[in-house]
Amino acid sequence: MILTRLATAWALFQGLLIEALPFLLIGVLISAGARWFAPGGRWLRRLPTHPLLGPLTGAALGFALPACECGNVPVARRMLSGGAPLGAGLGFLFAAPVLNPIVIASTWAAFPDQPWLLLARPIGAVVVAVGLSLLLGLVSEPLLLQPDLLAERRLHQPLAAVGLLERSSGLVGSPAPSALSAEAAPVRPPLAELMKHASQEFLYLALLLVMGSVIAALVQSFVPRSWLLAVGGAPTLSILALMLLALVVSVCSSVDAFLALSFAAQVTPGALLAFLLLGPVIDLKLVSLLGLLFRPRGLVLTTAGAALMVLLIGQWVNLWRL
Amino acid sequence: MTPPPLQRAPLWRAASLGLWALVLLVSGVDGRLDLLLRAVFHPLVTLAGLLLLLVALLQLRLAFGPGRQERGDRRQARTLLLTAAIALLVLLLPPAPSFADLAGQRPRDETAESELSFVLPPAQRSLTDWVRLLRSQPDPKLFAGDPVRISGFVLPKEGEPPQLARLLVRCCLADASPVGLPVHWPAGQAPFPADQWLAIDGVMGLGPAPGGGERLEVVPSRIRPIPRPARPLEP
Repeated sequence: MILTRLATAWALFQGLLIEALPFLLIGVLISAGARWFAPGGRWLRRLPTHPLLGPLTGAALGFALPACECGNVPVARRMLSGGAPLGAGLGFLFAAPVLNPIVIASTWAAFPDQPWLLLARPIGAVVVAVGLSLLLGLVSEPLLLQPDLLAERRLHQPLAAVGLLERSSGLVGSPAPSALSAEAAPVRPPLAELMKHASQEFLYLALLLVMGSVIAALVQSFVPRSWLLAVGGAPTLSILALMLLALVVSVCSSVDAFLALSFAAQVTPGALLAFLLLGPVIDLKLVSLLGLLFRPRGLVLTTAGAALMVLLIGQWVNLWRL
Repeated sequence: MTPPPLQRAPLWRAASLGLWALVLLVSGVDGRLDLLLRAVFHPLVTLAGLLLLLVALLQLRLAFGPGRQERGDRRQARTLLLTAAIALLVLLLPPAPSFADLAGQRPRDETAESELSFVLPPAQRSLTDWVRLLRSQPDPKLFAGDPVRISGFVLPKEGEPPQLARLLVRCCLADASPVGLPVHWPAGQAPFPADQWLAIDGVMGLGPAPGGGERLEVVPSRIRPIPRPARPLEP
């Protein structure tokens, strides 16, 4: 019996993995392309600074630079260090992993019979991104951003935008600004370097996908269906359970829909959406990546804010769909 | 134990990527895709396999090019070795799922009857066609006496005789949901084991439903054990 169950779990694991790998590969290659067309230059500083328009513009950039969250973090960092308004940079960081064609295509591939999800996922991602941008905007940049990012950012901001106490250049004893020029054209990495990075990224993310698929296959095969139904059928508990799962499995937004598929039949629709919304914003893998941008305060606020908003969206969807 | 830093990182990268490319390409050839994924996704998997092979070849070129002295760090070494080992394991251990076991864990298919675009003559209806038709036309008397020629696997049911079933997928095996038809097994017939694939010729007949009343069941005139079809997930 146990061997039969293991054989079935092995097949489920392979099904999830083989289905998701093409989408992962496409995501990584596009992310490499985004690195090639490295965003930089003056246009970044011309992005809207309006508290709502800024994040919305940043989110919309996801369609231009479609990458999953891992590819997004370096791009968002480059935007912020290049002087992009905070709201636009954060809007891109949080919404672009969902608001891009690859993710929408994989969500559709996994849930062709649930068209509401194709609308609810991008809309929910924008709501979460705008909410997080507004929340993090309440914190001053020196308390929010990593010091080295902040220093690069200052070099690309008009001097008037930087408070006297925040300026590090022009003070006696401080190092002169580096050769990094605000107007310099972005340096494109050599193709060999780009392919090396993309290959390494693919293998690292494939490893995370393997772990996520193992968890999904084991839960599906070994957790009694009555348990899944008991947890998955409870409106709030199901949302919390799937949010926790999203934090743990840490798969990319380009393939997370396939893992959600394993639980779709047993959980409430709100829980399903919560899984698809929270993972792209924060999970265990992203904590170290987001550490490139945020100080611990920023990380805690991002996690708490995203979790609260996703929980509320999930609850609202359950009220609407159940 | 922590693996030592890699001496020839590009070569290892090429090997690992090549193994993953092989996983995707071999899956299309050895029938694995037919067992795991809906047919519409098969070309995408093959295309991704070819693309990955191309990336692996580029890495191989790098391994013997000017950058060959590149050394990987420990984390890189761990990722490369682990991913290569997993790809090898997937290649060497093909999937052999128990459809009956999987079906026992899943809710039954509830596809709306609107998917039934037209009704085939009775003897041409597949098991899935029959299940959907019966769901859309619940009066069992309408179909009593119709000829039946179907195939499926034996799915044990709790508290009632086994059914003949199929798995339906929308994407991959992870979302498979079963559809089954009750069978009036001939008296004295030794029970078939779970997962055994059978081809049944017979007619639709009326039998007692578990909750009272009547339901349609297949009354076989001929039962043949058959090997699992090449495309077991096709309806």
